[in-house]
Parts: sequence; structure tokens; C-alpha cells
Amino acid sequence: MIVEGEPRLRAPLPAPDLPEGRWLATLPSPLAFARAAGNAVSAQTMAASVLAPQIEAYASAGCALVVLSDPFLAREGGVEEGLAAIGELPSGVPLALQLPFGDAAPLLEALADAPVSAIGVDFYSTSLDAIEDGYPKEIVAGVVDSRSSAMEDPEEIAGFVEALSQRHPAGIAVSVNGDLQFVPETIAREKLARLGRASVALKEGALA
Amino acid sequence: MSTVRFVTREIGSLGKPSWRVKSFAGRPLEAADIEEAERWGRRLEVADYEQLLELLRSAPFGAAELATIDDWAARYALRLLERAGLDVVYDGEQRRTEMYDHVAAFARGFEQRGTVRSFDNKYYTKAAVVEPPTVEGPQDVEELRFVQEHTDREVKVPLTGAYTMVDWSYDEHYAHEGALGASAERRYEARRGFVTDVAENVIRPNVEGLVEAGAHWVQIDEPAATTKPDEVPLVVHGFNAAFSGVEGVEKKSMHICFSDYSALWPAVLELEDCFELQLEFANRDSRELGTRDEDRPGYADTLRLFREHGYPGVGLGVLDIHSDFVEPAELVRDRILYAVEALGGPERIQVNPDCGLRTRSWDVVYDKLANMVEGTRLAEEELNRAHAAPAVG
Repeated sequence: MIVEGEPRLRAPLPAPDLPEGRWLATLPSPLAFARAAGNAVSAQTMAASVLAPQIEAYASAGCALVVLSDPFLAREGGVEEGLAAIGELPSGVPLALQLPFGDAAPLLEALADAPVSAIGVDFYSTSLDAIEDGYPKEIVAGVVDSRSSAMEDPEEIAGFVEALSQRHPAGIAVSVNGDLQFVPETIAREKLARLGRASVALKEGALA
Repeated sequence: MSTVRFVTREIGSLGKPSWRVKSFAGRPLEAADIEEAERWGRRLEVADYEQLLELLRSAPFGAAELATIDDWAARYALRLLERAGLDVVYDGEQRRTEMYDHVAAFARGFEQRGTVRSFDNKYYTKAAVVEPPTVEGPQDVEELRFVQEHTDREVKVPLTGAYTMVDWSYDEHYAHEGALGASAERRYEARRGFVTDVAENVIRPNVEGLVEAGAHWVQIDEPAATTKPDEVPLVVHGFNAAFSGVEGVEKKSMHICFSDYSALWPAVLELEDCFELQLEFANRDSRELGTRDEDRPGYADTLRLFREHGYPGVGLGVLDIHSDFVEPAELVRDRILYAVEALGGPERIQVNPDCGLRTRSWDVVYDKLANMVEGTRLAEEELNRAHAAPAVG
């Protein structure tokens, strides 16, 4: 990305035509934006001038959750900078910080105080042991590997989530660990279906 | 100092001519395709190219005709590289689909899973490893023999490296069991096992066969080398395992493009008997002439790594393969002269494009390569003239 001048949002991306409170949006985190621009622009500027108005627009349109995706944080660091920038974002809609394809273990302690309600952890890059007992944030558990063609077993997923629940984080949601563009569409659809079956099994089982 | 002479060579791929592509795809050839074959046959002075034209006019083609068309494509590519003036050649990988599929389709243990995006709007067919991969025998011996029989230049054989084959594949065997929530150590060991098996049981048999057939220079291509910086030791392991126990390889080199080269050191120093790293520089460089640091931003940082950490040799990428911009010979000259200054001498430098040229038309390729050779000669003249000039007392 080449930066020429001060970035600002010209107009918000349109919201999807979905029922209010039933959809989420994924955006790059402020730090991810800055890193992708070769640090030619600060994370705080991207937060204040680009992401904040977009998030406000999504909130007005009934978005239930904004996921800030950050593939750089686990690889390159920058937690303080990243969290300070997230602090510039509006609070009218819950935020989650997702760490796709990276080992979240070194970051979780610092992220315990992050101005987000949930942390997305890729459990194909992060050990279960990285989750300390009583972690104060909801864990959006990446339990489906979007970079693998191997089909996940819904029972194995459910068993893993039960094991995660024994560590008593503030909450648990189940998800894929990153974008599903890395597998062919037929595989992506089947993976989502298996995630759904695992979720149903969890709701009907011990975690109901 | 002895007379400076840089060796010029390509990296690997050339685009396939339309008459080859359409023939293999079973699509009808048009007059323009045959005219193209004639134009390049004449321009490159390909011996008996009229026989190709006659063949192309005799569609449809059976297996024997397609094999002959394949041979012609290889001959044309060889002649293009020779006529451009390169010292070291191969066949532009005319017989290969692309660097990943060529290996995955040949080896046992890979199953195709569908197309995924590689970069921009380019897609490739990605396979999954479902069992430990193996091969029945060497893959590219016939391809090499044809090249040897049709050139008197030095020959360098490009092979896809084990780590890139692993990184570009899905893993349904090594890491599938117990992957969810696994420790970093377990994940790394699974990757290492995969790399080892590809290196020993897919790449090495090919290397052995090629050496037995007379190959003396094997280039291992690892574009995925720094995708995961903490796995660079696996890149090194794969390279070393692919050659382990194979005698008679006079030159081993590694080509890595479009990567964070700072991630290569220090692990890359453990490559065994790898005389050269062929890297990309021109893609990051300015198009301005000059030999100052500010003129050559694409070269300064990476050459500093060579200077500070050491490495036997560098295959200096001087042509940007992502652009139709035809580098003037003077620009090639200045890129080489800058590298000589940065490395304190010419001994460790040889000259090549940044990467394979398959995304460029043959017209652009020919002009780029010809200017690369001319620019190399200009750099040599300047260095030899400077060395020959009497000292001023």
C-alpha cells in the first residue's frame, strides 16, 4: 500500500442487508492497516480517520460485533501501539481482536486489558496451554483451520471446546482461525457445516 | 586482479508460446499462432523450424505429435536464451505446468483439492499430502537430456525445493492428528517430518537421476523460504536432505524471490555446499541510473546482509520480471557496479533476472535478456578498464 496524504474514509462501506443484531463485520485492525502501509501512516490515524467512521456506520446499521483482524501482531509485535489505536475506536458496538495464523501465547497477558470484549485465538497456531485459568476476555476460538483441507471432526471440536471451558475464560465462541479464501469453496462450505454441527453439539451437551 | 567476467543466466521459466499451449489444450490453432512460430523461428534461427510449421498445420494432434511440439517449444526457448547471449541456459521449463503442480502431479501421496488464489488474481491447483510422498524414479532426466543434446552452453537444472512443496500443500497426513491446540514443538516436528520426506523421497531421487545423466548444476527454487521466518531452518534442512549422499553435483544453488531476506540469516549459513543464493533485487529498485546507495534502494539492504553475515556468492537479480519495462543496459551496468562496490569486489557475483520470466511476452523477454547481457559486458569493461588504468603517483 502506498500512502499519499492523510488517509480518511471518503464514504463508509455499505452494510449488508441482514437482520439487525444478527451480523458481524470483519475489518483490518488499525495496526494491521499501518503495517500493511509500511508504517507510512500511524495506527492511531487509521483508527481515528478511517476505521472509527466505518464502525459507527456499521453500528447504525445493526452490526452486532466488529472483528478487528490483525495478522501482524503475533509475528511482529506492537501490542502497545495496537491497543492504543483500538482505544480510539467507538464503543457503540462490541469489538473483538482476532489474531489469525499466529501464536497468541506471548500476547494474551497484555491483551487481557485490551479495549475489546473478545480475543480471537488461532488454536492451530496456539497451544491450549496458553489460556490461563480465568482469562478475563471472551475467547473466539479458531477451531476450524482455514489453511488446511483436512476436515475437522465436530466431536473433536466439541471436545476441545469443553477442554477450553475447563480453563474458565470469560466466554467462548467458536469460529474459523482465519479467512476461508485459502481453501477451495467446496471445502470451505463443508468446514463451516462441521463448525455448525460442533456448535449444536456443544449447545445440546455439557456447555448448554 | 584477473579479468572480470560475470556469468549470465536465466532463473527458470519462460512463457509458453500460444501454439504449444493451444495444441496441448486441444484448442484449434489460428493463423496468428503459426505466424508466431514462424516469426520466432526466423528471428532465433531455429534450425528446420519449417518442420514445426508444417506440423502445426496438420492438426489435430495425437500423442506423438504433441511430444514433438513439446520438443519444439523446448528448442525455441533454448534458442531464445542462447541468442540473447546467456552463458547458462535451460529450456524455460516448457514441459512443466508450473513449479508446484509439476512435482505434486508426478509424486505419489498428493491429491488435488481444487484451485486457490496464489497472489493477485492468479490461482493454482493446490494438493494435499495424504500419505508419505514418494516417486517411482527421477522425474526430469529426459527433459535434461534433450537440453544437453540441443545446446553447447552450460546447463543449470531448476527444481522446486522441498520446503516450498510443503508450504504450498495442504497437510492431511503429518499434522492432521491432534493438530487442534497442539504445542508449537509438535507442529514444528510435523512440518519437519513432511519436509524430510519430500526432500529424501521426492527431490533426492530426481537429483540422483539428473546427476547420473550428467547434470552438474542444480538450482533449488524456494519462493516460500521466508513465509514463516521461524521455519527457515526447515528450508535449510530440506536443501541439505535433498542432496545428502548424492555425489557428483558440482554446483548447488538456491533461488529465493520476493521475500524478507533478513529472515534468511543466520540459518542460511548452514546450507551445505550451496555456492550461491540467487535473489531478487530489481523489483525493489529504482529505474534511475547511478551507483550511490540512494540510486540503488533495491540492493543496499540485502547486499549489506551478504557483507555483514557472509555468504559465498550472490546471483544478482538485475531484471524486474513483474514489469514490461525493458531495463536499459546502462541500468543493468549500474546495478552490477553497485553490487561490486557493496561486496568489495566482483568475485562473488553472477548475473540473472530476479526470477523466471513466464509472465512476460517473448518480445519483452528477449529485449530484457539482451540488455542484461549487454549491461553485464558494460560493467565488465568499466571494471577491467579501472583495473588496467595505471596508478597516478
